[in-house]
Amino acid sequence: MKLSPRAALLLLPSAAIFLFLLILPLANVIDESFKLFIPGRIGSAKDAPYTLTNYIELISPAYAKFFLDTFLLGLFACAIALFVSFPIAYYVARQPVGLKRKLAVGFLICMMFLSALVRVYSLELTFGPVGFLKQVSTLFGLTPNSRTYIELLTIAGLIHIIIPMSALILVGTLQNISPRLVEAAQALGAPRWKAHLSITIPLSARGILSAFLVSYTLCISAFVVPLILGKGRLLFISNLIYSRFSEVANYPSGAAMSMVLLASSLLIIYVVTRIAAARWGTE
Amino acid sequence: MKRYVDNIGFAFLVATGVLAVAFLVFPLLVSVSMSFDSRGYLGPFPPPSLSLRWYESFFSDSYYLNGLKNSLILATIAAVVSTTVGVTAAVVIDRYEFKGKQALATLFLSPLIVPAVVFGFALLMFFSLLGIFEGFPRMIGGHIIITIPYTVRTTLAGLVGIRKTLTEAAMSLGANERQAFWDVTLPLAKTGIVTGAIFAFAFSMDDVAVSLFLSDPNTYTLPVAMISMMRAKFDMTISAAAVLLVMVTLALLVVLDRTIGLDKLLGQGVYRA
Repeated sequence: MKLSPRAALLLLPSAAIFLFLLILPLANVIDESFKLFIPGRIGSAKDAPYTLTNYIELISPAYAKFFLDTFLLGLFACAIALFVSFPIAYYVARQPVGLKRKLAVGFLICMMFLSALVRVYSLELTFGPVGFLKQVSTLFGLTPNSRTYIELLTIAGLIHIIIPMSALILVGTLQNISPRLVEAAQALGAPRWKAHLSITIPLSARGILSAFLVSYTLCISAFVVPLILGKGRLLFISNLIYSRFSEVANYPSGAAMSMVLLASSLLIIYVVTRIAAARWGTE
Repeated sequence: MKRYVDNIGFAFLVATGVLAVAFLVFPLLVSVSMSFDSRGYLGPFPPPSLSLRWYESFFSDSYYLNGLKNSLILATIAAVVSTTVGVTAAVVIDRYEFKGKQALATLFLSPLIVPAVVFGFALLMFFSLLGIFEGFPRMIGGHIIITIPYTVRTTLAGLVGIRKTLTEAAMSLGANERQAFWDVTLPLAKTGIVTGAIFAFAFSMDDVAVSLFLSDPNTYTLPVAMISMMRAKFDMTISAAAVLLVMVTLALLVVLDRTIGLDKLLGQGVYRA
């Protein structure tokens, strides 16, 4: 149907919401990110001159650590979560309709809805320096207060969030792959592991990819997990942005970091989908 | 030999799955049991005896109660507004052909890739420019924009599955366009709409980053209250609050199951015997 003026009117409320709550605020952040900051003020002055300082600062090695922590720990977490959620998703997807399947799906959805705060608090209570499973740290040859253990805890927090999410995405893909294909390969003499490796995994590549994209964008913008489990010794870019606002009121620098974080998310999504499109055709 | 590798591989994957589920569930059980701890301090697990003291402390602390009240009000408003606006937008996108339709659909989903902290930061600065300094209106704005993509996406997914012939049949039997929409299209899209509303409610309840920026000292949400308590002292009242949040999650799951059924949510897959 052609869009009539009356139907276009229906788009007005949503257009207004996106203009005032997304487009204008982000435009303002871009503007602020180029403003000169004078220490001691809250934010930039109204007539502050435009400058590139806020971005140039971020290139310095002092900041590289935060970017590296964010992107690398996020990547580790995604790799582990994908590896772990695949068998879970496969189990759920091949479950016949009935109570067991319903319970399994309910469990995953419940785990997805669970508040991030509940997760970090529970993990801290279990594996943290006062937690009763803190001996886990000695398994890795670490002390509960070492930096590496804090990194491990942060990864644990991230995968706690993304395992249920990627498992649900993968269930959607896996249940649309015909089980006959693997059976055929096995009937023709392939061992089961090889049949899955050469049939199930390639056919679910799209699902794996979208699970990765959703998980990774969530990980690099994680805020609560590093805030609590990182104990101030491990900061993600999100935490750095928050401290720019809450501790030093250097809004222009926080704005520049926000833009870099947003741009990296966009870049990752663009590059990954581009590679996927080149590999598997359109979409 | 073939069998041998298969069996080891299978056992390894089962072990991975079981370990992962244990990793997801076990910490929660620790939190729940510690919330019933009768000791007045954070002692070693398991608690020697049980009591409700931390729940009493939660329900007698106006700081937490105020946060809980605000969280529930905010999540309700966010879910209602996001669903109304999201469904309207999704219906227009689904039914009409116009230039820039694809771009508009992308715009509606775009808040999903903006990190929550960036939203909090951007909205805080923008609201100060507009001279809005009260926590409540600021947080309503923030929660609406972060939940709208879920309602748009699930409604669109629900509408795409409806065959156009059904609406056409209704209209050829004498229904006008409006009746066909209210009596045929909307009930069929129910699954998507309800899912979106529940997602909106859940993600609004869960939000920390946006609320942390936009709250004021008198208006804050339960997660904001919990996070400031967590950083101040590791008190067990937080476990009681955590258990309450788990209950909210479970309640949402029950609502989801009762209204549309958990089976329908993911579909059955094409190749189901």
